[in-house]
Amino acid sequence: MPATTQDWDERYYHVDQILEKPGPRTDPGFLAGDEVKEFLREKCKILVIGAGGLGCEILANLALTGFKDIHVIDMDTIDISNLNRQFLFRPKDVGNPKAIVAAEFIMNRVPGVTVTPYYGKIQDKDDDYYMQFNLVICGLDSVEARRWINATLVNMVDPENPESLKPLIDGGTEGFKGQARVILPTVSSCYECSLDMLNKPTAFPICTIANTPRLPEHCIEWASVLEWPRVHGDKKMDTDDPEHISWLYNQAAARAKDFKIEGVTWSLTQGVVKNIIPAIASTNAIIAASCCNEAFKIATSSAAYLNNYFMLIGTDGVYSYTFEHEKRDDCPVCGGEALDMSISSETTVEQLIELLIEKQDIQIKKPSLSTPTAQIYFQAPPQLEAATRPNLTKKVSELVPADGEITVTSTSLPFSLSLRISYT
Amino acid sequence: MKESQDIETATTALSPTNATGPPDNKARRYDRQLRLWAASGQNALESSRVLVINGTATSTSTLKNLVLPGIGHFTILDPSKVTPADAGNNFFLNGPHSIGKSRAEEEVRLLLELNDGVEGMADTRSLEEVLDTDPEWISGFTVVVAHNLDSKLLDRLATFLWSDDSHPCLFVIRSSGFLAEFYIQYHEHAIIESHSETAPSLRIDKAFPGLLEYAKSLDFKTMDPTEHSHIPYVVILVKALEDWKAEASLPHGGLPPQTYPEKQEFKKSIVAMKIKPDEENFDEAEAQAYKCWTSTTVPSEVAELFQDTRLTNITPKTPRFFVLLAALKEFTQQEPYALPLSSTLPDMKSNTENYVHLQKLYKTKAEEEKGVIKKLLAAPVPSDLVDSFVKNAHGLKLLKGKLWDALNGDKEALANSVGTLPKQVSAHLALSALATFHSDNPTATPTVDALTAEAKKILPELLEGWDDAVGEVVRAPFADLPNTAAFLGGLVAQEVIKMITKQYVPINGYCVADLVDSWTGVI
Ligand SMILES: [Zn+2]
Repeated sequence: MPATTQDWDERYYHVDQILEKPGPRTDPGFLAGDEVKEFLREKCKILVIGAGGLGCEILANLALTGFKDIHVIDMDTIDISNLNRQFLFRPKDVGNPKAIVAAEFIMNRVPGVTVTPYYGKIQDKDDDYYMQFNLVICGLDSVEARRWINATLVNMVDPENPESLKPLIDGGTEGFKGQARVILPTVSSCYECSLDMLNKPTAFPICTIANTPRLPEHCIEWASVLEWPRVHGDKKMDTDDPEHISWLYNQAAARAKDFKIEGVTWSLTQGVVKNIIPAIASTNAIIAASCCNEAFKIATSSAAYLNNYFMLIGTDGVYSYTFEHEKRDDCPVCGGEALDMSISSETTVEQLIELLIEKQDIQIKKPSLSTPTAQIYFQAPPQLEAATRPNLTKKVSELVPADGEITVTSTSLPFSLSLRISYT
Repeated sequence: MKESQDIETATTALSPTNATGPPDNKARRYDRQLRLWAASGQNALESSRVLVINGTATSTSTLKNLVLPGIGHFTILDPSKVTPADAGNNFFLNGPHSIGKSRAEEEVRLLLELNDGVEGMADTRSLEEVLDTDPEWISGFTVVVAHNLDSKLLDRLATFLWSDDSHPCLFVIRSSGFLAEFYIQYHEHAIIESHSETAPSLRIDKAFPGLLEYAKSLDFKTMDPTEHSHIPYVVILVKALEDWKAEASLPHGGLPPQTYPEKQEFKKSIVAMKIKPDEENFDEAEAQAYKCWTSTTVPSEVAELFQDTRLTNITPKTPRFFVLLAALKEFTQQEPYALPLSSTLPDMKSNTENYVHLQKLYKTKAEEEKGVIKKLLAAPVPSDLVDSFVKNAHGLKLLKGKLWDALNGDKEALANSVGTLPKQVSAHLALSALATFHSDNPTATPTVDALTAEAKKILPELLEGWDDAVGEVVRAPFADLPNTAAFLGGLVAQEVIKMITKQYVPINGYCVADLVDSWTGVI
């Protein structure tokens, strides 16, 4: 049954006013009227990544604006702490997959819209899968997943085939703050280009945690980073298990008492070990609406789309800033040029690896290193790791000539980074 | 705005924090927002009553974002029946099944599914009827939200609400396709917990006796090296500043570093104290050295609040904020001419012992100064409110508002805004012109010419961005696009939460949004 039979007269009364005539800033290429409506409602296929705080809002907005072929991917199940904002879920849904529950809800509420859920990881899907969409909207809280989809969409671009360029719209929130951006893979600045704009997660030096705790957070980190493995060995800590949190809380509270530190609570313990970011419905609504508005404008050409970054801060009044984030020539994903890196001739391979993990514009978790002619260090497989391990203590300058290149790869990222090394 | 009133909700509300065990279901549900506004904010939300006039898509988007975090009660006032157009753009209607039914009733039913803890009512009277027969009914709410209301009716509503400063605040929302704006009408809004991002002064330049004694008691030179690398930077600076001022024979004798060379010299003296190059505590001290010559005074924004005439005559009826403010003012008029000390010490390089000791010194002094404030209170104020006031004294805010639409009658204010915010003013004028035109000619189609004529009545010289704004408004007059509705619903709900919780800082002006070029601005 074609979707259009579900439409009733005046269903799109509001949206149609936009689609039936151009505005003063609309591109002359805009085909007002039936053609654009038909494309939006019958041909356009859109992928939503994430069915959480942003995802729920995104799905509802897309469905109401007239997108009828929507796909959604999410690997999570519903938790009770989602219910203060993820409005497609009810207490009875706790424990069920977000993607499936959200898809069903939208299809029940908005007739004629098909939402195809996939309960799993974005990495399960290949290029053919992503190639079928006209647009991708991301509402994720994971940096790693965003880097993956961003690199995948950039790599997919084939200059011979304009259809291979999939606009990526990305949103993110934290408390009263958030951002929405439009990425045209290979054309505009990509997610990787702006990695250095991310807030650095607070990391406490291990010596503070071990020897000189001052804050309740230091005691909690001690319990989770040092005490848990010491007491439980290989048993994995599950931050979603209240009993594990209680154990950590008790350890941290006892340590805090020894050191006369105040302020360790159960809730703080949970917040620190899960790295909980405050989240509310209203901020998600603003950012999701902004993402969907850009998707609507791109799909219909009814107005120019965002070029390319919208940032919102809602703690003191309503402050927002719209600007063009610049593409980086040395971006490992879309730039093509090697990244210059200057290190001391005394720097060891191990120290270089730490640097790559730490550096704000690189942040590669488990980097493997090689030169065009030799392997320096590989994290996996185990045999190769063992074979290259002796290099860790060697100086980089012994293995790589000045101005030589090092290729950095990581299993979590579908791209490699070229470093041009110079010595000081 | 009304203070919280519902005693039952207030007493069954969240306890401040159950510190030692896993949270109950309610605390788990609200965990991600409690980390923003804590139990005090949540309790305020749960005792609030929100009235929404006109059940449009923008209205239900707003309500959704208020029902989810758990306001106490909402009422939708709307006499209309669901049209096919409503059923297409409103997520809180059940598609074609809702057509012909009461819009308010359908929406209330679907919104209530979001949160068992919220009470919702549909009222099918018209606003006109309420204003004619029972306007006082409206004053039983905490906040009133009105979207795309007829401008004459809106003026009546705004005038009624403005007539008494105990009446609820009014959110006026207007939207038309990609353009939108909203305004909060309030007389005054006092904020204690503004969540200011500036840190309170550590008073290094005016070290209190306990701190000074502690700093002086340490002999850096004879200390063992491990101990030396764990002296907190605050202590290093206090001592270095004392030593500097003690050199009375030098030109700067008795004064902190003033000139650039003096400041450099001071910094050098700190670095010279190092006994090993990697002593991070001395690096921190060098980086924070400016705190020695940045004199701790009352921040100008707070000092301005002291000018308020209500402070001179405190009566039992004076709002607590001003009772507290009067005591604070008196406090700052004596030594050390500063705000009361904050008990929160930032983290710094130190061993546990020194840090905890320093923390205790700050806490003790802060308690002592809070005691002074308490003695200065001219009327009784609950102790936890005094605590919060003193803790947040450096970020106090008092916003003064205006009657809705006052801007359009204020040629000078409008002219001032035009210079800096031409696009924003153009969008505001286009929406104003549309509202007036439609109210005067309900059946006529607005044109660029008609709206331009209307706008010129407000501002004779139209400006940059006018064509862009008016063209967009004429393209889709009053169109309630799902994305614009969701965007506004988020922004407005955020501000409603700030007004109700009296935390964070709401807008003071007209917030305009243009979703063609994706910007917002506040006039
Ligand atoms: Zn890039």
